[in-house]
Amino acid sequence: MNQIEGYLAMAAGKDEVHNGDDITVKVDLAIAHDITGPMAVEQFKKIGVGQVFDMKKVVFVLDHIIPAATVEAKVLHNVLREFSKRYGVKLYDKGEGVIHQVIAEKHRLKRGSILIGADSHTCTAGAYGALAIPVGATELAATMATGTLDLEVPEICEIRIDGKLKPGVYAKDVILHLIGHFGTAGFTDQGVIYTGSLMDQLTMDDKMTISNMGIEMGTMISYFADPDQSVGRVKEVYTFKTEDIPASVACPPNPGNVVRAADLSSTKISQVVIGSCTNGRLSDMLVAAEVLKGRKVAEGVTLLIIPASVDIAQQMEDQGLNRIFREAGGVITSPGCGPCFGAHMGLLAAGDVAVSTTNRNFPGRMGHRDGKVYLASPRLAAESAIAGTIVSPGQVVPLGGLADELEV
Amino acid sequence: MSWKCKLHGRVWKLGGNVDTDQIFPGYAMAAPADKFKDYALAGSEIPDFAGRVQAGDIIVAGENFGCGSSREQAPVALKAAGVGLVIAKSFARIFRRNAINIGLPVLVCDLEQQVENGQEIEVDLVAAEVTICARGEKIRATILAANVLQTLEAGGLIAKVRKQLKIS
Ligand code: SF4
Repeated sequence: MNQIEGYLAMAAGKDEVHNGDDITVKVDLAIAHDITGPMAVEQFKKIGVGQVFDMKKVVFVLDHIIPAATVEAKVLHNVLREFSKRYGVKLYDKGEGVIHQVIAEKHRLKRGSILIGADSHTCTAGAYGALAIPVGATELAATMATGTLDLEVPEICEIRIDGKLKPGVYAKDVILHLIGHFGTAGFTDQGVIYTGSLMDQLTMDDKMTISNMGIEMGTMISYFADPDQSVGRVKEVYTFKTEDIPASVACPPNPGNVVRAADLSSTKISQVVIGSCTNGRLSDMLVAAEVLKGRKVAEGVTLLIIPASVDIAQQMEDQGLNRIFREAGGVITSPGCGPCFGAHMGLLAAGDVAVSTTNRNFPGRMGHRDGKVYLASPRLAAESAIAGTIVSPGQVVPLGGLADELEV
Repeated sequence: MSWKCKLHGRVWKLGGNVDTDQIFPGYAMAAPADKFKDYALAGSEIPDFAGRVQAGDIIVAGENFGCGSSREQAPVALKAAGVGLVIAKSFARIFRRNAINIGLPVLVCDLEQQVENGQEIEVDLVAAEVTICARGEKIRATILAANVLQTLEAGGLIAKVRKQLKIS
């Protein structure tokens, strides 16, 4: 067995599991947010059990549309408030941040634990070794009642990356490069284990950026290997060298449409978004601040800065980053998902072009179907905000400054 | 429940990589449940789909249908709008499971190049066989797993769990 199979076996109470086995695993934490949670609650009530399987193991976070942008959104908040009060489950309803960041900060699970979430980016928790499986609202509801999840043991592949990242290349570029390589369905129904010497140099923030976008290759589980255990037998090992990984951009219409940043210059932009569960952490903000310090956002460009959690927002304030962003002409919003999924706080009209550190750029993802979203690292996004066009890291602000050291 | 293993409907072709933002756009996510159907495919190349779809119609798509978000609103909206079945060359994992869990059948079959929009087809879910009515031609699909058929027969996962937990 490999590491993922080993932990799945443990969660299923079996000595061994193998690809294709139908198993039932015990769930350690079940999570949902203001968009998926109310639907899960409604489905849960249809099951007709009087309580959730374990009050401490169900957590809701209001993050997608907070503060409520519409009356309907507020109704969704109220559904979860009522449910959490009645069933005693934890609800984060104070704008604490994006669900995956809040879970990492407040409910970080032990390696090998089973996390299921009614949000596709639940896979983020693979960074710290959780087996994090995204599900829909109905499946979450079933788990809320039973405490278990039925699944088929997936095929597991290993992605091995060796070396040190080149200057101007970040964790975001690594995952964009991989998605470009494997395609948006590259690992559908499969698990991926990340290994290689690069992993020793990545911070937890970096690893979360990489595991976060596993779903953009279709993965069922994205998981960073425990370096102290052997990986075990996998279906396939794919090896990459960091010197072959350039600063990258995913162009519309999907995250698999990845090109070298160097090939894109002169694309004019009207918005830059720095934030989300992919790249809204303090290290991302530090890189952006280093670039934006003493500089101005280009005319015609809206720069949105969205901390992924209230803790991060506090650190940004303590470290003086907010002043830098404001003086540069940026708008700092409250922690949460912001315009990432196109509901509020920074939508695009037809013809708008955004560089965003988020994870999806499907048509209409950030507003109008004919608004375009390019996905990139915070460094590239910040430099592009100053230039007013998509640039490569180092083109506007020389590489090798504090920002690069901070990222390592 | 209304489990029908033989379906008959008109084809709507949709192409490859239809993501959940196209099936059910983010801006509609806070809509009340009885309005979901109005947004079915509102972000796609057929934005007026909800007004034109007829009960029992069948979506025929290419690879990776339903990729992207875990929003169950996507299959729920399709089902509520009247879609009886989604056939695709391949599905993204979460969409596929969501659809089955809410009782919307999905079938894996490379059909897109062989049918035209509006054509009528007949599908036997248990036999995993598609018949193009006009030509009588039969095309094989991938057999649905036993537990998937069970969930569909039960009318979705909630009904199945109720059975499991012996709640009547
Ligand atoms: S930040 Fe974006 S991708 Fe992350 S949970 Fe929120 S909407 Fe989803």
